[in-house]
Amino acid sequence: MLDIREVKSERLGDSYYTLKHKSGLRVYVYPKKEHNSTFAVFGTKFGSINTKFKYKNKNEIVTVPDGIAHYLEHKLFESEDGGAFAKYAKTGASANAYTSFDMTAYLFSCTEKFDESLKILMDLVQNPYFTEENVKKEQGIIAQEIKMYQDDPSWRVMFNLYRAMFHSHPVKVEIAGSVESIAKINPDNLYECYNNFYNLNNMTLCISGNLNVDKTINLIDSLVKPSGKDPLPESIFPDEPYEVVKNRVEEKLPVSIPNFQIGFKEKASKERLTDEELAQTGIILYTLGAKSSLLYKELLDKELINESFDYEYTEGPMYNFVVFSGESNDPDGINEVLVKHVKELKANGVRKDDFELAKKALYGKSVKMLNSAESITNTMMSLDFANRELFNSIECLAKTSLEDVNKRLQDQLDVSNSAISIILPEA
Amino acid sequence: MNKFTSYSVAEGVNFNFVKDDRFKTGRASVAMFLPLDRSNVASNAVLPFLVSKSCSKYQDFTALHRYLDELYGSSVAGDVDKLGETQLLTLSASFLADEYALEKETISEKVTKLLCDMLFSPLLINNTFSGDLVEQEKRQLIELIESEFNEKRIYAKNKCEELMCKNERFGINKFGTKESVSALSPADVYSAWQNALSTARIEFTVLGNIKDHNFALDMFKKEFSKIKREKTVDCATQIVRSCKEPHTYSENMNLTQSKLVMGFRTAIAEQDKETMAMRLAIAIFGATPHCKLFLNVREKYSLCYYCSAKYNRHKGIMLVQSGVETKNIERAKEEILNQLNEVKKGNFTEEEMNTIKRSLSNVYRTIGDYLSSVESFYISQIFDDRKSSPLEYIEKLNRITKEEIVEAAQNITLDTVYILNGIEKEA
Repeated sequence: MLDIREVKSERLGDSYYTLKHKSGLRVYVYPKKEHNSTFAVFGTKFGSINTKFKYKNKNEIVTVPDGIAHYLEHKLFESEDGGAFAKYAKTGASANAYTSFDMTAYLFSCTEKFDESLKILMDLVQNPYFTEENVKKEQGIIAQEIKMYQDDPSWRVMFNLYRAMFHSHPVKVEIAGSVESIAKINPDNLYECYNNFYNLNNMTLCISGNLNVDKTINLIDSLVKPSGKDPLPESIFPDEPYEVVKNRVEEKLPVSIPNFQIGFKEKASKERLTDEELAQTGIILYTLGAKSSLLYKELLDKELINESFDYEYTEGPMYNFVVFSGESNDPDGINEVLVKHVKELKANGVRKDDFELAKKALYGKSVKMLNSAESITNTMMSLDFANRELFNSIECLAKTSLEDVNKRLQDQLDVSNSAISIILPEA
Repeated sequence: MNKFTSYSVAEGVNFNFVKDDRFKTGRASVAMFLPLDRSNVASNAVLPFLVSKSCSKYQDFTALHRYLDELYGSSVAGDVDKLGETQLLTLSASFLADEYALEKETISEKVTKLLCDMLFSPLLINNTFSGDLVEQEKRQLIELIESEFNEKRIYAKNKCEELMCKNERFGINKFGTKESVSALSPADVYSAWQNALSTARIEFTVLGNIKDHNFALDMFKKEFSKIKREKTVDCATQIVRSCKEPHTYSENMNLTQSKLVMGFRTAIAEQDKETMAMRLAIAIFGATPHCKLFLNVREKYSLCYYCSAKYNRHKGIMLVQSGVETKNIERAKEEILNQLNEVKKGNFTEEEMNTIKRSLSNVYRTIGDYLSSVESFYISQIFDDRKSSPLEYIEKLNRITKEEIVEAAQNITLDTVYILNGIEKEA
């Protein structure tokens, strides 16, 4: 018998089902009645930052080339009996994959032939096939992908900021690596990463759509290929000082309006943040930077921002930071106003009425996210990898107190530990 | 997907409703169709952005957004689009369904009322728009136009369309030019507003998890009873059937990767012909991961990361976009034309055709799972004076034969090639 657990949200009336399969694979199934499409995401907690690791009982640190997780993602689409796209062609499913800092995910959505599509997905991820020839062929394609990003000012401004904030953490390295680093990728190092990190104990499968839970789980059970018994290697991250590297970085590119990102680096550990901490951060940043905030008003009144202005919180093993970004003719002007508002917020704390408003708005936006099977599956996967949980993350928004929020604020938004990155037009 | 119901509100003005309780949210929108015209494109473009930021009741941007936060993070946005040679101005709102309100508020009615106020009771000072607010939106629109240059993929695509259609209204940028926006007075924007309300074809759409739509219908009817409607403007598009000699334009820029955009005339466009055979021909050629461009230009020859074709069925053109190494531009261009010839010669199998049909059917069936897709699907149906559902499109595409696809493909002729040449950066 499979030990399936129901997770229910009383508030929303929704439920999903989860189990830890005997192979180690964690499975989440979120039914959405009467939906036409079904989404499935199969992923591993192995991303661009996992380039150094250590085997259990060995001291030697293995280093693999930058960009290898992303390269692996491309190559898993090929198997001995043809490409995955050709197989999905028979079911009509729409397939894709992505690599981020801390995970790699393979997905499809379909409106018929779900069983066959799931089999294709699970086969492709569980059956690597790397040869000298097929690995080499991919180099030209990925090199063009890297070059496309090099010309993208919104990408450049982001990694320039990461390099200004981080001394040695691999979060500052481009996800796809560089043309030079990918030249060092070969079947051997691809297999080494695959065999270590595509272990089902390190993986999650999330499915949402119009489906029968028991039938789906039995199908998964029949498609799982047990991983080897070797324990997972430990990912190694270099010591990262608290302080940013430098406060400012500029680059010139053919743009007509400057791009900017302003980052506030925080202390971080290998342990991921909790649902409570993230709910608190969500509220803090909403009161500071949402369209209803005084910061936004002053930036608009001073004609410094447009609708591209936004903020985001990023956190992972040994990296936590807040970023404000957008396009503006006066990024330094924005920085000045931003720092003023951050200082006021830190001195006075979040106001009670702002707190209540932010809670309500963020609750509404979280519930809205549950409309989409695609958002549900991707969110459940990244939450699983961070030891967090979907309904609890929404519940925490409703339950957190102003005191807790103001306590958390003390660890965030240190104006003496920020950096600004700007892309300027060429002369 | 539930039934689509339409009511006439006034001459050229309709109210459309799709009830769908599977969603946790609802949407309400206003779409105004006006002929794309150099003389008023800029004043029209400012309009949706301007009216979505305030109204006579919520005069201040911050007050408006605090109200939206109070309504569980509801959002309102203005946008501008181009359908053939029609400028489409939209104002849309998204909100949490009433049943999820923590204090049983009627969110849907309040947000719909707000949308209605923005459109019919904008903030006026001395019977015109406020000079400060108009200046604020002009600046932001100019920055939006500038940002199109920042993204080279978008810039190259716009440039190709503009050059190809320089003697047609389609060549006009949907936002206008920096100069035309800069020259606008509050009176220009005010008269654009009056003109839109009295002459544009207008479609109100309310959809999603909404108990009662009569409230919204009555409200819009009442507002329109106060407006003197003139004859609704005609929104026809000029279809150029073929071209004699293709033109090539190129531009040098300091970039790592070159962009190649090829503009084709398809002769077949929505307003006068059935387009399904053309859609399939273009999908086989270059619009899915099973298409000839992906399998050959990318996978077989490793020339690029992206190379795809997009059919603009309202204008009757097709654009092929790719990012390539400068030295490979000619090879990529040859291979793209070569693959198009394969489609024209009928060199594709029944299975290839069926794959594309399955893949497009999947796209049609997925529409119903996203409120925004349902909305844009029906808006485009209404614009084309058609009343088919996504399922009827699937039936239609399944009836198309290989002969019809090959016959449609014969109409495709190359018109314009635009190359954004990446030149080596100076050391």
